[in-house]
Amino acid sequence: MAEIKIKNLHKEFGVGDDKVVALVDVNLEIEGDVFVSIVGPSGCGKSTLLNILSEIETPTSGTVSITNKGHAALPGYVFQAARLLPWRTVMDNLLFVQEEVTDAVRARCQKYLDMVHLGDKGNKYPGELSGGMQQRVGIARAFSVEPDVMFMDEPFSHLDAITARSLRRELHEMWKATNKTIIFVTHDVGEAVELSNRILVFAKGGVLKDDIQVDLPFPRDPSDEQVAIAKANVLKKFEELDLVAT
Amino acid sequence: MVAATDPDIQHTTEEQVAQQARRKELVQRWFWRILGYIFFLGVWEYGSGRILEEALLPGPTRIIKTFGELWAGGKMLDAFQATTFRIAVGFGLSFIIGLFIGLISQNRWWEAFFRDATLISLTAPGLIWALITAIIFGNRIAGPIITIVLTTFALVSVNVYEGVKSLPKDLVDMGKAFRVDVIGRNRHIVLPHLAPYLFTGVRFGFSIAWKVTVLTEIFSSGRGIGFEMRTSSQLFQMDEFLTWILAFFLFALFLEKVVLQAFENRYFRWRQGVAAT
Amino acid sequence: MTTATAQLPKSTKPVSLVTRWKRSTWIPRVLFPITILLFWQVGMQVIRRIWPFAVDVLPTPMEVVDMMWGEIINPFVEGKQAITRENLYLTFGRSLLRLGSGFVIAMVIGTIIGLAMGLSKAVDAFFHDWVMALLAMPALAWALFTGLIFGMGNRSPIVTVVLTGIPFVIVNVREGVRNTPRELFDMANAFKVPRNRATRHVLIPSLMPFFFAAIRYAFSIGWKGLVIAEVFSGQDGAGWTIKFYYDAHRAHGIIGYAFFFVIFALLLEKLVFEKISNRVFKWRPKTTDVALVEALFDGPDDAASATAAAQI
Repeated sequence: MAEIKIKNLHKEFGVGDDKVVALVDVNLEIEGDVFVSIVGPSGCGKSTLLNILSEIETPTSGTVSITNKGHAALPGYVFQAARLLPWRTVMDNLLFVQEEVTDAVRARCQKYLDMVHLGDKGNKYPGELSGGMQQRVGIARAFSVEPDVMFMDEPFSHLDAITARSLRRELHEMWKATNKTIIFVTHDVGEAVELSNRILVFAKGGVLKDDIQVDLPFPRDPSDEQVAIAKANVLKKFEELDLVAT
Repeated sequence: MVAATDPDIQHTTEEQVAQQARRKELVQRWFWRILGYIFFLGVWEYGSGRILEEALLPGPTRIIKTFGELWAGGKMLDAFQATTFRIAVGFGLSFIIGLFIGLISQNRWWEAFFRDATLISLTAPGLIWALITAIIFGNRIAGPIITIVLTTFALVSVNVYEGVKSLPKDLVDMGKAFRVDVIGRNRHIVLPHLAPYLFTGVRFGFSIAWKVTVLTEIFSSGRGIGFEMRTSSQLFQMDEFLTWILAFFLFALFLEKVVLQAFENRYFRWRQGVAAT
Repeated sequence: MTTATAQLPKSTKPVSLVTRWKRSTWIPRVLFPITILLFWQVGMQVIRRIWPFAVDVLPTPMEVVDMMWGEIINPFVEGKQAITRENLYLTFGRSLLRLGSGFVIAMVIGTIIGLAMGLSKAVDAFFHDWVMALLAMPALAWALFTGLIFGMGNRSPIVTVVLTGIPFVIVNVREGVRNTPRELFDMANAFKVPRNRATRHVLIPSLMPFFFAAIRYAFSIGWKGLVIAEVFSGQDGAGWTIKFYYDAHRAHGIIGYAFFFVIFALLLEKLVFEKISNRVFKWRPKTTDVALVEALFDGPDDAASATAAAQI
């Protein structure tokens, strides 16, 4: 569990012609074991926000603090592409990101591999696995460091619909079982409604437009009436904010 | 965004900043490049007569002078003519043979038949062929020509093979549907498709051909660059020897980088953006 | 092949001999050397008839085989003197020693320059044109040049190996540095992986394929350069032996040694490089020979010209 505080965050890239403004004056507070989705059209700065939160990029101005009971929070990260080391086995990929390698850590990695149903694939190389399996390894890797907060950058967008759906279900169960704060970037509103307590809507140019609470019981079935209505409501808000056209 | 009263003015200044950054990088690159030239040529010039005797390592200025002398004496032109003629005949023949083999290799049987020939041609050192043909044919022109053919035909045939294999069948069918005749189809579809492949074959083949030709001339010839190199090295005239090497090196570089490149840019403009081979 | 057979309509009749002949790929592969041998033999007969003095010069296949067999068993036969100064094994051993020392020097210097060029644009601009020139320079030029400077002995062949091999090492290492997987480093940063572990598990493995290509190129091109250098300024070694047969006008000796060369290169490839490659690149999906040939011609421009230059 983590506490995230973002104040007056501003980010731009490049100089002159190549200058792009990615985020404008973002203020945000996230607390507890919530599942927060960030949605918006492409180029709205949602990936940039995630990169700043995980310290891959630094903000142009403003402050970001991520803490867990006063200490710096430990992050986990799931990328759009799995980003596995192709020359290391699945198990070694998990061990690569651990602080130290002990028998206990090994057992922990094995546990998370089991959770994504890849317990028997530890000795395989990533090249021998399918795309969906590789992304599962990426998820197991992020959980295996037992992070306080988890960042996910459109992790299911490269996968086919059926694989994505079953992975969403697995992710939800893992979230419930581990009580993590999850920041989940997606462009799929249905996915956001199905998974999250809270949806942040970004518009082009990096402006935070809306902050929506979704109070429906879990697990949510996308074909369920309540979920469908919630999704329709979010889409209606999109229209009101004039986001659909862009 | 930063508030600006006139966005146009701000745009120009930003553009200037970007342009300046780009210009600065270019200037830096050229600065280091020129520094590299000064350094290497300087070491060479300095080393001549100090690190090594001048008779062993004549400096760049000495070589430029020798070049002028050899050119004025007409020796240069004569040698270039002889060598270029051998390359032209040899590589021309190699091209025809390579084209033929590449075409008939569309048949699996012939492809298997010529597989090892291709492998040998690509791997066996040119020196061996040069020596064997020198023993058999002596001074005759057959020696260099056979050597060139044996070392380069596979580069052409492999490329032709790949080119034909990837012929755009849909385009040919389109031509048929629009009742374009055979000549038109070949001219507008098949040849433009094959040309880049042939070109790649020619470029690689040529870069090998000139080296092999000089090698054969070292062992068996009375004229040509290789012959001149042998003569000057046997007479221990380092300045002439280095001049010959550099002259031919520059000539080959000129043909490869300037002539072939210009040709490629002109005729394959449509391929820009498609993986540039 | 399987698809071709699968497409054929099923018939109860056994496949006729002609179709089987047409469809087989090993028959033409075997036929090729047979055809060459036949041409060789018949050609010899014809040339000898119209050109009687060529008898000594032109070798028959049997002569070549005899010569090779003689060289192979020479050290094991009591009291038999080798035709050349040293037997086959000593000759190749000597050449290999030279190749090895030149190769190591080329690898060390080339790696340093290649790393610097990959990391710094200034260093790249400084060296680029000269490395490209070195790449295009024929081994022959170095062989003659070093022969004149250093005279007979070990130095000329070794320096030739260094000079011919080094640009290949530089180009490959530079490409490797430029192609480091940024996204994997970002991943390591996001998980706060310590720097030295990231170097060991991300940087070095990502450089390995390029490094390995450098080793292969430098070896095969250095080998050819070495032989040419030994031809002109060796007192022993494989190149010298070939020159010895050339001066003695014994073409069968040259051809025989050429075969030793090819066999040696194949053994090296199969027993050393392939083994190492399989171990180091266990994680890679297997590439077929076809893909390799395609890679030869589809590489980036520098690498492609490097491939072409490696042929001679």
